Amino acid sequence: MTTLLEVQALSRDFGGVRAVNKVDFSVNEGEILALIGPNGAGKSTVLNMVSGVIPPSEGEIRFSKQPLTKVPGYSYAGLGITRTFQNLQTFDDMTVQENVMVGMHTKMSASLFSCGMNLGRARKEERLMEERAQEWLEQVGLSQLRMSLAGSLPYGKLRLMEIARAMVAEPRLLLLDEPAAGLNHTETADMSSMFQKIRGDGTAILLVEHDMDMIMSIADRIVVLDQGEKIAEGTPREIQENPRVIAAYLGTEEA
Amino acid sequence: MKHVIDKWGKSILVYLVLMIVFPFVMPDEYYRSVGIIIGLQAIVAIGLCLVMGLAGQISLGQAAFWGIGAYTSAVLTTKYGLPVGVGLIASAIVPALFAFILGRAIAGLQGYYLAMATLAFGYIVQIGISEWESVTGGASGMISIPKITFFGDSELSMYYLIWGVVTCVLLFSLNLLHSRVGRAFRAIHKSEIAATSMGIDVRKFKLNAFVVSGMFAGISGGLYAHYIGILDPQPFGLHESIKFLTMVVIGGMTSIWGALVGTLLIGSISEALVLMSEIIPGLQGDIDTIVFGGILVLIVMFMPEGLVPRIRTAYEKAQAKKRKASAVETQTVERKATT
Repeated sequence: MTTLLEVQALSRDFGGVRAVNKVDFSVNEGEILALIGPNGAGKSTVLNMVSGVIPPSEGEIRFSKQPLTKVPGYSYAGLGITRTFQNLQTFDDMTVQENVMVGMHTKMSASLFSCGMNLGRARKEERLMEERAQEWLEQVGLSQLRMSLAGSLPYGKLRLMEIARAMVAEPRLLLLDEPAAGLNHTETADMSSMFQKIRGDGTAILLVEHDMDMIMSIADRIVVLDQGEKIAEGTPREIQENPRVIAAYLGTEEA
Repeated sequence: MKHVIDKWGKSILVYLVLMIVFPFVMPDEYYRSVGIIIGLQAIVAIGLCLVMGLAGQISLGQAAFWGIGAYTSAVLTTKYGLPVGVGLIASAIVPALFAFILGRAIAGLQGYYLAMATLAFGYIVQIGISEWESVTGGASGMISIPKITFFGDSELSMYYLIWGVVTCVLLFSLNLLHSRVGRAFRAIHKSEIAATSMGIDVRKFKLNAFVVSGMFAGISGGLYAHYIGILDPQPFGLHESIKFLTMVVIGGMTSIWGALVGTLLIGSISEALVLMSEIIPGLQGDIDTIVFGGILVLIVMFMPEGLVPRIRTAYEKAQAKKRKASAVETQTVERKATT
């Protein structure tokens, strides 16, 4: 099993507050790694650093051996890292299909001139983007709604749309920030099986989530953060029995 | 092209018919010249719509690009005797270069700061034109700028030339709207974080939008110079920039058609005010500024999305209602949002 993403001594300060402190972990090819922890543990901050949204204060992030620290945020998608957002970041005035087509930006290259003149290349790419977007909308079960404006969709559907938008870029690593938040039990179960399928097709997943049913059923390994530090790492079974994790979650006095 | 016709076939047809018959239904030459000026303004407004409505970047200096375009072609043809065609090409390139340099300099700015920076740019350009007397003729301006004579120099041929350019600019922008690049602009407008995570280089695309809008304004400026035949710095200031802004906001910032409709509306109101001032003695001076300011305030308060998107939403609602009454339930969702 080869390492895809390697995070070393990753830290991040906000003002004088250290939100993430010297966190190490790695994601292997074709696995689902869950990042869990109580509120304010620094999970989203880690995800934001790994996706290039905010730079780390200290530490190293390597993606298939290449250091990412100096790479600009917009290059991550092209390298093979895409993500979804905890607070949805959808383009409400575009249709669902157009939203997903934006996800293919790095796969295409038509210039402004070519697009404005609607030259052959732009037309060809447009057709390709439409086809691929439709494939993914079918996968997440939104093909009926592809011509609706994203702004008119309910929350749960938008979460699915964000996943389709991240997946059309054919990433090697998919970052998910609380994808099950606000979903009901059936929707969560559907989503879990979709993630297993995505992993089966060769995309590794780094998952931040609070829904324990989802995590325990699909994660290959779990990393637990508490107050910015890593307190445990292991298989779902190991984590369930780890006294430090139980203490962090239930707030019992530490042994 | 097919793409655009599928999407806007009816609108384009209506536009073409109105545009072509206008000079024949209007009583005299004067209205043809009004039509020409409105066409020139529409080119600038469509460009401003790309940068403001699509990419979400405010510009209070659009009249400066217009002025740079006008003076570039005027100086090259009048002072240096270059052919008008060369002047017109330069009037597209030089403002685009200015937009590129300015855009690079202010790439990190947003919101108020961007507005202030473009405002300052507008002032600098207008003052520059006034003060650089040896080239621009200063405040007294330039005269006897050669006319465009490709198709004869009648008012009618000029009208069709200008509106031919408007049509090209319009189709280019409509194509862009639903393309990789246009969607990148719109994505940046809604969420720079999401756009970045999808691999869109936000700075580069903002700069692209800025350069295209500068180029459109410049093209219009060059045509204006050769149509009017005389230039002075006065029309290229903040007053005109605000007027362009009002056109785009009234029509609906997010809609290319909105820019066109807004320009027509503002142009018509201007004319109506001119007519009224001949009848009512009190209506002199900068009355149009007051009226446009008032319209802008009302639009922002009661119809912030603008005219065209508002009408489109109302139309769609009516259509959906009709369909619901008669047709099958499942198809409603499918067709509803084919905007």
